[in-house]
Amino acid sequence: MTKRIRSKIARGSAELAILSLLSEQSLYGFEISKDIEERTNGALCFTLASLYPMLYDLEKRGLVRGRWEANSAGRDRRYYSLTPAGKKELEPLQQEWKLFFCALNRLGVPNA
Amino acid sequence: MPNWKAMVRSRLETFDFDPKEENDVINELAAHLEDLYEEGLTQGLCAPDAIERALEQVADWRNLSRKIQLAKHPEGMMNNRTKTFWLPALISLSAAEFSLLILSWFSLQSQSPSWSLITIHTSTTSSTFPLLAYLQWWIVLPFCGAAGAYLSSRSGGRTVACLIAGVFPWIATATLIVFLTLIGQIVPFHHQWINFITALSVVSVPPGVALLAGAAPFLKKPKLRATVG
Repeated sequence: MTKRIRSKIARGSAELAILSLLSEQSLYGFEISKDIEERTNGALCFTLASLYPMLYDLEKRGLVRGRWEANSAGRDRRYYSLTPAGKKELEPLQQEWKLFFCALNRLGVPNA
Repeated sequence: MPNWKAMVRSRLETFDFDPKEENDVINELAAHLEDLYEEGLTQGLCAPDAIERALEQVADWRNLSRKIQLAKHPEGMMNNRTKTFWLPALISLSAAEFSLLILSWFSLQSQSPSWSLITIHTSTTSSTFPLLAYLQWWIVLPFCGAAGAYLSSRSGGRTVACLIAGVFPWIATATLIVFLTLIGQIVPFHHQWINFITALSVVSVPPGVALLAGAAPFLKKPKLRATVG
């Protein structure tokens, strides 16, 4: 049960991180993993094996859209951007997590 | 520069979706590995170390293939389970049972002497086999185990799926013996546990070992190796 909760939290937080990042700008997979790692000081890390199944799942659910474009070095990369459905999903998701951390704060969990 | 596309393609070989979609996935993963490799080089790593570090991102390519398949086409996963486990397991079981049937039939046709007949008792039933056919069966079993494990491995089954598909005839036999013995608990029967142990050790254990011997070569994961070109 603990493992299932942990895995749900990890998955939920990972989805939130990706959707939040893509709400700011379109990025390709490598940039997404680097941005998240840097901005969370390494607390959230995506390997190739964990990132792409999640991106494809988000794409299948219609929350993000991928399209091939050349990056600054002229190489083709698949850029992901948030769809209108993704934007709609992001707000309640952020709200849910805010409530979750507030609840943990009230229980005295430090830095939650 | 390593040939990342070839490297990814050789590892992700179990997709069921159309070639364009598959190419997109391969190109995307290859591009990610390329970026990781170049990042490694800019951080001062030598090329082989940069390749190794990039490949460390994927511990289990089969698992990644399955996750991608699940993410892109969740409706296809039942097919995948059937392909990687149930079909190989049933083929292994059918081959084992059919070969025993054929060998027994030929042996009985050739008028086996009574000393060469062995009778296996469980609490509710007993079966007589020609010993020679039974010994010949043990020789055939590694091939049945190998067939199950190979088919599972070829379809992208995980090591545990290959193993279980390979030794499935043993699992089925052992389950049947345990089941019949448990039923025998309801009906009083003398020497039940001795018969159970005899049946398990004679009918089940050697075939299990033979099947495992056949399946073993297909249980190894493909070794990751960089393709430089």
